[in-house]
Amino acid sequence: MAEVISVAELNSRVSELFSKSPNLNDIWVSGEISGLKKYPSGYYFVLKDSSSAINSAMFKSALGRLNFEPTENMKIRAFGRVGLYVPQGRYQFIVEVMEKSGLGDRYLAFEALKKKLDEEGLFDPSHKRKLPLYPRRIGVVTSQSGAVIHDIITTSASRYTADILLAPAMVQGDGAAESIVAGIQLLNKAGVDVIIVGRGGGSIEDLWAFNEEIVARAIYNSKVPIVSAVGHETDFTIADFVADVRAPTPTGAAAIILRDKSEIRSELQSYTTRLNRAMSAVLEGMKHSFDILDSRLGPQKALDDLNLRSMMLEDLSKTADSSLMAALNAVKMQYNALDARLMPSRALEDIDSLRETVEASLDRIKLGSKHLMEMESSRFDTIADRPEKAITTIVKQATDALASDSKQLEGLNPSNVLTRGYSMVTDRTGKVLTSVEKINVGDSIVIRLRDGNAEAGITKKEMKK
Amino acid sequence: MTDYAEEVEKMSFEDSIKALEDLVKELEAGGIDLDRSIEIYEKAVILRNHCRKILDESERRIEKIMESSGVQKTEEFKLD
Repeated sequence: MAEVISVAELNSRVSELFSKSPNLNDIWVSGEISGLKKYPSGYYFVLKDSSSAINSAMFKSALGRLNFEPTENMKIRAFGRVGLYVPQGRYQFIVEVMEKSGLGDRYLAFEALKKKLDEEGLFDPSHKRKLPLYPRRIGVVTSQSGAVIHDIITTSASRYTADILLAPAMVQGDGAAESIVAGIQLLNKAGVDVIIVGRGGGSIEDLWAFNEEIVARAIYNSKVPIVSAVGHETDFTIADFVADVRAPTPTGAAAIILRDKSEIRSELQSYTTRLNRAMSAVLEGMKHSFDILDSRLGPQKALDDLNLRSMMLEDLSKTADSSLMAALNAVKMQYNALDARLMPSRALEDIDSLRETVEASLDRIKLGSKHLMEMESSRFDTIADRPEKAITTIVKQATDALASDSKQLEGLNPSNVLTRGYSMVTDRTGKVLTSVEKINVGDSIVIRLRDGNAEAGITKKEMKK
Repeated sequence: MTDYAEEVEKMSFEDSIKALEDLVKELEAGGIDLDRSIEIYEKAVILRNHCRKILDESERRIEKIMESSGVQKTEEFKLD
């Protein structure tokens, strides 16, 4: 009878056969990962290609050699051996080293999805929404432990102030795409002005979640504008094509969304400058109007006054001081007052006003005259009061002088001479005769003596030689 | 103008700076009377001061939001 062996012995022999076969050891196998399960003891999956499949395992001891994270449907090259799992008599490929085999398939998948979504209009520029200029709240969908949120928080600190609301998400590995979609939807519900969806740099596999269709659609359907910031500047994902704006990096996203504060300050300053320049132009125009008004109204003083005010206003306007308001109102009133005098519709008011002015002036003149007269009167009083004594003196002096002259005249009285023996000869009319020339022979003359007159006739005339 | 200042106080930064820009353009365009010019000037200064105040005085909140069983929860977020 032939030898009877146990099942375990059989599997042992197969196992030994496998291990001794050079064709089954230290070989490279290429295929695609399927049914990937990750356990603490290792990764278990089916390695397959289009026509066949083999159970595969990568034990914990080998996982440390991985420089990427295997994912479902990933095309790989695996180095290892065929072994038998004795308890179940199943053979499997035991992976010692795993490498990504070319990006061919992935690239094709990427291109295919891109083409599909493009044709659907998901990248259509007309669908791109404008970012708010000054968002008050920014949503961020990313890992809460990565560099992305850190970069966004620190970069935005010096920029226009906005709240930041993080929706933590897995950004790679299984479920990453679903997690990102959930974050976008949650932030839409929570109410933000713009959303950054991002993650830091990595391999194309690391970034793959951002090439998933569900992420693309969630971005497209978001009510809030979305900025993508995935990987490095050279990485382009489907998410970048769908997003309203693609930022090269997370730091770049913060800079795109929030304006620099000093830039905004210069803009405000520029508005202030323009405002003052425009106001100065208005004032200049006003000054011109004043000049015209003045040339029609005449009073130089008004012009000087207005010019002065205008200059003051210009100075003030340069500093944009709030006190300008008061000054402006002052010049406005001045202007209105002048204007009103030229407005035909206000002519009546104008005349009334002028009449009042004239009446006021007249009153002032009357008042002034009265005052002047009173003043003059009192001046006369003063003068009259003072020279009274002088005049009295003058009159007295005159009287004295007269008395003196009177005595002298007394001596000259002809009557007095006659008493001293002289006589006076007159014609018959009483006219004193002082020369023989006027006397002719035959004339009658009157001789006046002290006590009477005697008439005589001229008998002879003789001139002195 | 006090009324306008109260109105502006409630305005967003974006609306304020837009309103400021519009006023500056209107004044620059000219052809308006003195009353309107002064009104524009006064309003523009109020708007500019409001914008400056927002720039200088605003503080931000940094939070994270999570949702479980349809309930949203927001809490302060601090960098590690």
